[in-house]
Amino acid sequence: MWDEYLFPQSVDEALEMLEAHVGEARIIAGGTDLTLQSQRRQVPAKVVVDITRIPGLDHVEERDGLIYVGAQVTHAQVAASPLIGSLAGVLAEACGSVGGPQIRNVGTLVGNVVNALPAADGAMALFAMDAEAEVAEGTGRRWAPIASLYAGVGRCTVDSCEAMITQLRFPALRDGEAGAFERLAKRRTLILPILNTAVVLGIDGGKIEKARIAIGPVATTPFVATEAAAALVGRAPDGAAVAEAAKLASEAAEPRYSLLRGSTEYRKSMVEVLVRRALTRAVARACGEEGENGNS
Amino acid sequence: MSTRVVGQSVPKKDAATKVRGSRKFPQDFNMEGQLHAKVVWSEHPHARVTKIDVSQAEALPGVVKVITAEDVPVNEYGIIIPDQPVLVGEGDKVRWLGDRIAIVVAESEDTARKARRLVQVEYEPLPVVSDPREAMKPGAPLVHDERGDTNVIRHIKIRKGDWRKGLAEADVVVESYYITPYVEHVYMQPDAGIGYIDDHERVTVNSAAQWAGHDIPQIAHMLDLPQDQVRMIVPAIGGAFGGREDMHIQHVLALCAYLLRRPVKMVFDRSEVMTRTGKRHPYYVKYRTGATSDGKLTGVEIEIVAEVGGYASTSVPVIEAGTSFAAGPYVVPNAKVDAYAVYTNNAVTMAMRGFGTTQSAFIYEMQMSKLADALGMDPVELRMKNLFQDGSIGLTGHEMPEGVGIREALRQAALAGGWKEEDGRWIRPDLGPPSAPHKRPGIAVACGLKNVGYSFGSDDKSTVGVQLALDESGRIARVTVQTAACDVGMGVQTALAQMAAEALSVDYNQVRVSMADTASAPDSGSSSASRHVWISGNALVRACQDALRKRDEILMAETGETFVAAEHEFRGLSVRETKPYDPETGMCVPHFSYGYASQIALVEVDSETGETEVLKFWAAQDVGKAVNPEMVRGQAGGGVHMGLGYALTEEYIQQEGVAKTRHLSDYYIPTVMDMPREFTLVTVEVPDPTGPFGAKGVGEMTTLPTAPAIISAIHDAVGVWIDEFPATAERVWRAMQKK
Amino acid sequence: MATLNMIVNGKEASVEVGAGDLLAHVLRDKLGLIGTKISCGEGECGACTVLVDGLSVTSCIYPALKAQGREVTTIEGLPQEGQLHPIQQAFIDVTAPQCGYCIPGMILSAKALLDENPHPTREEINEGISGNLCRCTGYYQIVEAIELAAERMAEKGGAR
Ligand SMILES: Cc1cc2nc3c(=O)[nH]c(=O)nc-3n(C[C@@H](O)[C@@H](O)[C@H](O)COP(=O)(O)OP(=O)(O)OC[C@H]3O[C@@H](n4cnc5c(N)ncnc54)[C@H](O)[C@@H]3O)c2cc1C
Ligand code: FES
Ligand code: FES
Repeated sequence: MWDEYLFPQSVDEALEMLEAHVGEARIIAGGTDLTLQSQRRQVPAKVVVDITRIPGLDHVEERDGLIYVGAQVTHAQVAASPLIGSLAGVLAEACGSVGGPQIRNVGTLVGNVVNALPAADGAMALFAMDAEAEVAEGTGRRWAPIASLYAGVGRCTVDSCEAMITQLRFPALRDGEAGAFERLAKRRTLILPILNTAVVLGIDGGKIEKARIAIGPVATTPFVATEAAAALVGRAPDGAAVAEAAKLASEAAEPRYSLLRGSTEYRKSMVEVLVRRALTRAVARACGEEGENGNS
Repeated sequence: MSTRVVGQSVPKKDAATKVRGSRKFPQDFNMEGQLHAKVVWSEHPHARVTKIDVSQAEALPGVVKVITAEDVPVNEYGIIIPDQPVLVGEGDKVRWLGDRIAIVVAESEDTARKARRLVQVEYEPLPVVSDPREAMKPGAPLVHDERGDTNVIRHIKIRKGDWRKGLAEADVVVESYYITPYVEHVYMQPDAGIGYIDDHERVTVNSAAQWAGHDIPQIAHMLDLPQDQVRMIVPAIGGAFGGREDMHIQHVLALCAYLLRRPVKMVFDRSEVMTRTGKRHPYYVKYRTGATSDGKLTGVEIEIVAEVGGYASTSVPVIEAGTSFAAGPYVVPNAKVDAYAVYTNNAVTMAMRGFGTTQSAFIYEMQMSKLADALGMDPVELRMKNLFQDGSIGLTGHEMPEGVGIREALRQAALAGGWKEEDGRWIRPDLGPPSAPHKRPGIAVACGLKNVGYSFGSDDKSTVGVQLALDESGRIARVTVQTAACDVGMGVQTALAQMAAEALSVDYNQVRVSMADTASAPDSGSSSASRHVWISGNALVRACQDALRKRDEILMAETGETFVAAEHEFRGLSVRETKPYDPETGMCVPHFSYGYASQIALVEVDSETGETEVLKFWAAQDVGKAVNPEMVRGQAGGGVHMGLGYALTEEYIQQEGVAKTRHLSDYYIPTVMDMPREFTLVTVEVPDPTGPFGAKGVGEMTTLPTAPAIISAIHDAVGVWIDEFPATAERVWRAMQKK
Repeated sequence: MATLNMIVNGKEASVEVGAGDLLAHVLRDKLGLIGTKISCGEGECGACTVLVDGLSVTSCIYPALKAQGREVTTIEGLPQEGQLHPIQQAFIDVTAPQCGYCIPGMILSAKALLDENPHPTREEINEGISGNLCRCTGYYQIVEAIELAAERMAEKGGAR
């Protein structure tokens, strides 16, 4: 399958390795996507550059109201992190729903983003959290908004043959802010969702002052329902506002017909249900009616 | 009957090696100098092969041979009729994706894998027949043009009583159209094995199988060898569920060994198991049931179209069995049944837990649930009014033999599930509030029955041997049970050891069971039809009696011998006669012995998304006598698992004969999280006087009522009938939209 | 080819592997540890579960070289001084294995769970084995075996 398996000791070394094998070397993190993709020859690579032993990429920490998550952090670590649990619960929920325990022990949140599936659970929460990714490339490092990383199904604008993502960051939720994650799948676990949504909203003085709604897979990339979110802002966080936003989200979503995942009609309707449920839970949490990790 | 070892949950014979991971499954064997084989599979569901070019593949270093049709001595096989080519040659047709074009044999698995991609095959595509209802129409393209002018390979007719009158005089008629899905067995151990020539020059295959003794004549025929030149060894098997009754790999390995005279190993990957091995038959069913207003059945009219796929496999006996139970465990005075088995270019269908009766259980139980609803009658009460008892006349005019346990099973299930009985009336439990405002609770019951052993006059027999090693005082020191019964995981070897210990009054630990090797162990028939406990148990108990008699003789004669051996062949027909269907009326004596089950599902349906969660489940299994109660519970858990997947999540999807569900990532068997949080087994023991210690069969009966119980419970929850399943969230949602 | 050095079941192992070799194959084919089963080969069933530095992973999609310098535990490494691990014993005692093909993976998932959480609730046990499929049992006896093992291990003072 691969000819060479390398362990760089620094980000710079990783980039050098990629450069040394132009176009034929690729980053690997947990390998839960790449291994199968290479085996099935969907993603060619002769050399893989394993970033899981580079010092300094395993952090989950808060600085100045921003949470930073390193490229080695797995879904299991995100789900179990007390920091994420209290300041970004929606992400913990999302990562906790990926695959089964073995996959979560190995698969990384960053890998989930670079793999660029419109149904990825962890990535969906990052959209709702308005995350950014730090990209390390030949010319240096830069922060890129999450949406800018997506170019289509399975297509990330960061080419893992040339560059890598070193960490993610997003604002920690403040008082009056909360999120929630919902998914619908053909069985209860160990399965990609036929639909998922992550929402975050902030309530101040009895009014919704900010909202973000991310939905997948209803387009070629994770879909941010801007109109629906905008419709919430300035309103009291009541059932009517939530229902209206959910309806708008459903109207904007364009799931494709899928033999295995379900019809357009069904999934479009379900967008409304899931978004409504997620918003309702987020409102309850933001109003302190429910702990960030509690159930509805 | 009071027993000492039978009825105890002794540890399974193979448990220790299985928890250590040291038990060897077929993929775990390797032999000195072994080669590796890979199959070149058909790329079309229906096409003529115009050209096969193996030159590039053979040129690859490390490739030993590419085997094609001309290398096969007799290029045909099939478990009932030899309608299947081992390899499809130039000029011949492929009839589904599981047809083989060539076998690449190489020094390493990697090389074999690479070489198989180098075999160039050209096809001339033919029209694909992908719906059996179309395929049975005159003029439809023929799947087997060499076998007559129709795709219908079996039509069963049952005409009982005055069926027109039965329905005309009914106060209520329930009419439905059902479609049951294609499903895959998903035994966890992919097919694998090694073929070699043994020290006695026998073509030997070490592989998983359900009926080693039946693979031998097929292999011998293919190789044009006498049967004693062929040997099957069956090590630990990682599940089967009917899916290993046909040969998927055995004959290929035998052929490789025969041609190359070296050990050849082959291991399927999961996608080969998914897309190139047989499935459960889909049934397309029109069903009308009539009843009086007080709930007595007056008649049924049923048409079943069962999809055979590309080759016959066991379809004919499957449809025969399924049809014999089309009206369930109910007394139906008048009936008209037509059942057809039809070739298509979809996946071959074969035996799968229930052998055609699982689909039947779905249709007859859905009819009963609908009838109860139409009559406004409690579903337990309606069933009680019509259920079989000893001596009842069944659908094919036969008398139900003593030991009918279905009423007792239903009664106990209903009581466990919270029903109350008051003066012959049954009152359902109050389900209380749902767990969330958008959830709707529902509860329902279903029943099922299934034959034990082969049917319709088949001479089902099992031979089991027993050897006693005596100590100096003539006491039994050790016992060896000899049988070629394949333990697919269900614990037949343990159950037989328990029965031997019981019959010989020795300790369970003194008994060992020989490995299933046709060279040394007698043929005990297949591990299917829930038959071993009953039939091999009967053979064993008799062999034990013979052995004891012999021992007593030795002791009397004071010969000083310390070894006693006895063998017994038990024939099912010796206790009850069975007879085939009458071609015109269908009247017959279908089966020797039966097992019964009744189950209750408590579900919650999400009224917005259509998702169903099964919260609690009660399974009452009439096993006659539970030889090993924990093994019975294990069978029940597994049967319910398979039934739950059948009801809600599993669907093998094909489009124009091409599989769309090719991996476990798109074919969803239930995980632990999908199983009911509470599961209660109620063991019912209505003895079968012909069974060893009163025992019946267990394995298949545990899965029959599960899907109709769950899907009827969905109706109880949200008021919709799901007649085409699995009842995915979307299907339930759609049905709710229409309401 | 590269040299993979790891500690397998407490012993140093050194094997030559290809860059793309997967841990399951190396364990089975090069080290003869056949208790690691392969069923789906794509991370979907858990039959191939082993522990790497105590964490459960599906070894069929785990690049072997990731185990460089790590501690790998397979089913063969569970018995101590010939004694079955309490989880293994509990699986026998409650008749959990049927065909047994999923069982090594189940036991290793159970071990990962109990090492981390010695007193799991039933829900946590379900969660712990939710990446392991079994086609034979319906999981009930497997869950009960893990409960029993947890109880017995607690009595013995958390013996591992
Ligand atoms: C059985 C199974 C079940 C699953 N279930 C789910 C599920 O329910 N929900 C879900 O969302 N996902 C699911 N997944 C996919 C999920 O495991 C992956 O998306 C995972 O998060 C990817 O992370 P990884 O570290 O394994 O990435 P890898 O496989 O190592 O890499 C994936 C891609 O990202 C690139 N890459 C990785 N890290 C970097 C980096 N730092 N910089 C640049 N490029 C990088 C690689 O080159 C590769 O192209 C499942 C996978 C399996 C096998
Ligand atoms: S074989 Fe590895 S997860 Fe299935
Ligand atoms: S015991 Fe057979 S798969 Fe679990």
